[in-house]
Amino acid sequence: MSVPAAQAWTVATYVLKQRLLRRKRYPLVLMLEPLLRCNLACAGCGKIQYPAHILKRNLPVADCLAAVEECGAPIVSIPGGEPLLYPHIEELVHELVALHKYVYVCTNAILLKEKLEAGVFAPSRYLSFSVHMDGLEPEHDEAVCRDGVYEQAAEGIRYAVAQGFRVTTNTTLFDNAEPLRVREFFDAMMDLGVEGMTISPGYGYQKAPDQEHFLGRARTTKLFAGVLGAKKRRWRFNQSPLFLQFLMGKQDYECTPWGNPLYNMFGWQRPCYLLQEGYASTFRQLMDETPWEEYGRASGNVHCQDCMVHSGHEPTAVNATFGSLKGLRDTAVATLTGRL
Amino acid sequence: MADDASLHGWEPTLGAELTLADVVEHAFGYRGDVTVDRMDGTRVVGYLYNRDASARKPFVQLFETKSGASLTLLYTAIANIRFTGRDAAAGQSYEAWKRSREEWAGSAKSRGG
Repeated sequence: MSVPAAQAWTVATYVLKQRLLRRKRYPLVLMLEPLLRCNLACAGCGKIQYPAHILKRNLPVADCLAAVEECGAPIVSIPGGEPLLYPHIEELVHELVALHKYVYVCTNAILLKEKLEAGVFAPSRYLSFSVHMDGLEPEHDEAVCRDGVYEQAAEGIRYAVAQGFRVTTNTTLFDNAEPLRVREFFDAMMDLGVEGMTISPGYGYQKAPDQEHFLGRARTTKLFAGVLGAKKRRWRFNQSPLFLQFLMGKQDYECTPWGNPLYNMFGWQRPCYLLQEGYASTFRQLMDETPWEEYGRASGNVHCQDCMVHSGHEPTAVNATFGSLKGLRDTAVATLTGRL
Repeated sequence: MADDASLHGWEPTLGAELTLADVVEHAFGYRGDVTVDRMDGTRVVGYLYNRDASARKPFVQLFETKSGASLTLLYTAIANIRFTGRDAAAGQSYEAWKRSREEWAGSAKSRGG
């Protein structure tokens, strides 16, 4: 596991505090979308199909900070849209770092080198760039529907690493992924010097163009068992090893839909990062008034049956680590041995 | 009733089989602007981004296209909703995406990629 000790300690103490307070539901990562526009139009993305006047909107920084305070999660992930297009990204990140939130700027990295050269960001243990990389050059450029993006992203990663920034990658795998190619991709990312990688199966957004290549549960576990089996020690993942075992079919977890709540210009999205069934005006309303029993695989909700996405299941894995001796033991064994 | 891909241009006729609440649900899933005809005869054009049919006073929320302002309208104030803006998610079927991919691959090959 590649999460730095200080960050792991922050998360661990946060989770233990919630458990001591006997809170049944609490967030781990706030997904903060300050804008919805992007400089790519990827086939598997259902986030950007909006009228132009919506795509032009930006959340005010004050609204972002109020959401961060209201939510209270120790980690803030900034996806979008493309966050480097957000005109206030410098101020937002600066403020979040000052609050000692662990910030992940989830970027396609097309603009990363340019922003770093302009001095928009300063290295900090609280700031990571999570660069979208869906495979080696041919696979990634195909996934983002534009050639040259892989190399731009790789250049951005190299530059950021050389400047002392924390850099991770985020990768979504669909059913056309070939395990051997994915394993080569992991080698390539480690060669670039990233701190760690995150991976997840894609989710079938209703509005995404590509509806054929999303994975069913059985295909997900088969693919990830092929990708992560006999894991190389040099591969570092910025994720819970229990979540990776879940993807391989070695753990059986339910979804924690409130674990990664999403805030954007529409409000607090119900019920989760992926399903878009409405918006609450406050975080408290989201937590108190959402019929959580209607979501997750056990609920029978048809939209949840094939979902194994990180945003719902990694919080479960983290809770499992701190919620039982078995979870703690499994995590420790996977961390120490490097095996999944 | 047309499916989501062809809601653009739809002007619903409300009645026993199609209620305002039904139309609001379609509008919530629609990725284009709508025109809300109000009971007082005025109209507002915008993107309907939220609704709550189970609230004590059911409401919709939209971002007005021209002003950008967020408006909250009660169901009781709405006469009808028309699907007047282009659907940003329409024409983006998997087949359309595959066609664009093939075009992209072809152009990449011609560039020596």
